[in-house]
Amino acid sequence: MLKVNGLCKYFGGIKAVDGCTFNVDRGSITALIGPNGAGKTTAFNCISRTAAPTKGEVWLDGERIDHLRPHKITQRGLSRTFQISRNLADMTVLENVICQSKIGGWRDLMKPAMSTQEIDKAMGILDFLGITRIAYEDGSNLSYGQKKLMDLAALLMSDPKIILLDEPAGGVNPTLLEEIVGHIRKLNDQGMTVLIVEHNMDLIMRLSHRIVVMAQGKVIAEGEPAEIREDPLVLDAYLGGVLEDAA
Amino acid sequence: MMTILTETAAADATSSVLAARKAHNAKLSANADKKRAVWFPIAFLAALLVLPALQFTGNYNYVLHLVLFTACYVTMASGWNILGGFTGYISLGHNVFFAIGGYFAGMIFARYGISTIILAPFAGLLCAFVGYLIGSVTLKTRGPSFIISSLALVMIARILFDHWQFVGGANGVALKSNDLSVEWAKLPYYYAFVILAAFSVWASYKIKHSKLGLGLRAISKDEIKAESAGIDTRTYKVLAFAVSGAFVGMAGAIWGEYLTYIRPNIFLIILVSVNMVLMCILGGKGTIAGPVIGAILIIAFNELFVATLGASELNILATGVLMVVVLLFFPLGIVGTLARHHRLPRILNWD
Repeated sequence: MLKVNGLCKYFGGIKAVDGCTFNVDRGSITALIGPNGAGKTTAFNCISRTAAPTKGEVWLDGERIDHLRPHKITQRGLSRTFQISRNLADMTVLENVICQSKIGGWRDLMKPAMSTQEIDKAMGILDFLGITRIAYEDGSNLSYGQKKLMDLAALLMSDPKIILLDEPAGGVNPTLLEEIVGHIRKLNDQGMTVLIVEHNMDLIMRLSHRIVVMAQGKVIAEGEPAEIREDPLVLDAYLGGVLEDAA
Repeated sequence: MMTILTETAAADATSSVLAARKAHNAKLSANADKKRAVWFPIAFLAALLVLPALQFTGNYNYVLHLVLFTACYVTMASGWNILGGFTGYISLGHNVFFAIGGYFAGMIFARYGISTIILAPFAGLLCAFVGYLIGSVTLKTRGPSFIISSLALVMIARILFDHWQFVGGANGVALKSNDLSVEWAKLPYYYAFVILAAFSVWASYKIKHSKLGLGLRAISKDEIKAESAGIDTRTYKVLAFAVSGAFVGMAGAIWGEYLTYIRPNIFLIILVSVNMVLMCILGGKGTIAGPVIGAILIIAFNELFVATLGASELNILATGVLMVVVLLFFPLGIVGTLARHHRLPRILNWD
């Protein structure tokens, strides 16, 4: 469904992403892992066009999207969250979420933003995530975990086909972590394709169908969790210590 | 048996919690509506519309002039607010649109005698078009760079108009005054400005509550997030620039005929654009009532200090000091700060 082909992003002499190639299958949960500085977030940024890739191709459903502007990519059905939750202060959670709803075209622009229809849809999503109680709270008053949930809600408002989650579990407590895992799994059961960057190995191993391992801007391994666990290259580059400790 | 019991109890509890939540949310949204006093701006407008009746009892030209002048600035500040308040792009160059509107309508008025009040909407369209072109270039920068680009715009326009002989260069063009008797001469402009001001306030309300407005507010908070949320930030920003320019241009169109003169140093002095910005900041950037309150206060204090301190530099200083003091206590502007602390009187809640 999502094909990344030879993606490169250079910052001057630094090759943050250097010829990264992988696929995300429809309906799967794919994880992108790697040590710090491996280029995971940069790859994410290039896919969602938050940053312009130096070269390489990104294909979504047979359409090349790496030259499109970010909002076009979102309209094509690829939505993302940010590693450090970016929320819109001075706007309520409801407004934050509705902000992400699709806009049909020129004629839509002057329609009231907070129509009953939109509010119902947003409330439905907030209800799905179990956070309707904070709907009228100011976005900046939320706790870190609530912000993560709000990001997820906003993401769903744009009716995406594939969602890119950048460290959805970063900095949240274990209970909320379970909740987020549950939500991701439920979304996936409904047919949502998920690409996820995460440092929490336990979560990755439990959740993902497929793992792509990056190191120094390149993909060094790709496969099912069980394979990745055994891959000597991966163990060497990254997982070794962690898994040995766990065992 | 036990598990079934607990399950139904749990289900009951969830549904009652859900119902309570729904009621709570409904109350919250109803509360927001109840806090609004729509009658007040309408009554205020009605009062302004019958105000010229004073002329039957004596000569109140000064009062009319002040209201008209304030209405002119309300139009401009509300227009500026669409770009500076909602979108967060501070422009110090909006008097360029004031000049373009003024010159466009003024020159047609001078040559063909068509009233600028009729020409004002066309001046607005022209300014929107010019704003669209300028915005497509300058809105690629943001923050301080954008402010500087807007200042550069004023300088370019000033040089252009100072040397453009067709529009009279630095001397400008004198316009014919109307044939009405002294006490009624201001009336057409008075009504034009009051209606224009009301229209600009209504339009900024509409924009703020539209999808466009929500997008603009998102842009002002976090442009990268807005972009990834599926908002076409470039188009939105340029649209905001065009619309805000249009309002300023409409005000400029009528202003020229009212003064019976179009000249670069009427329109293209930095004071005009700084005034717009100060009014919005004093009243509350990004609020609907803010520019109105700001315009009324700044013009009232200006007049007060001119009357008490004389037309020296001292009155400007006094206005400045007052501005600083107010902003110390109302950092988000009067309306903005009061709203933040839930102290905003209902009659001023126009958002």
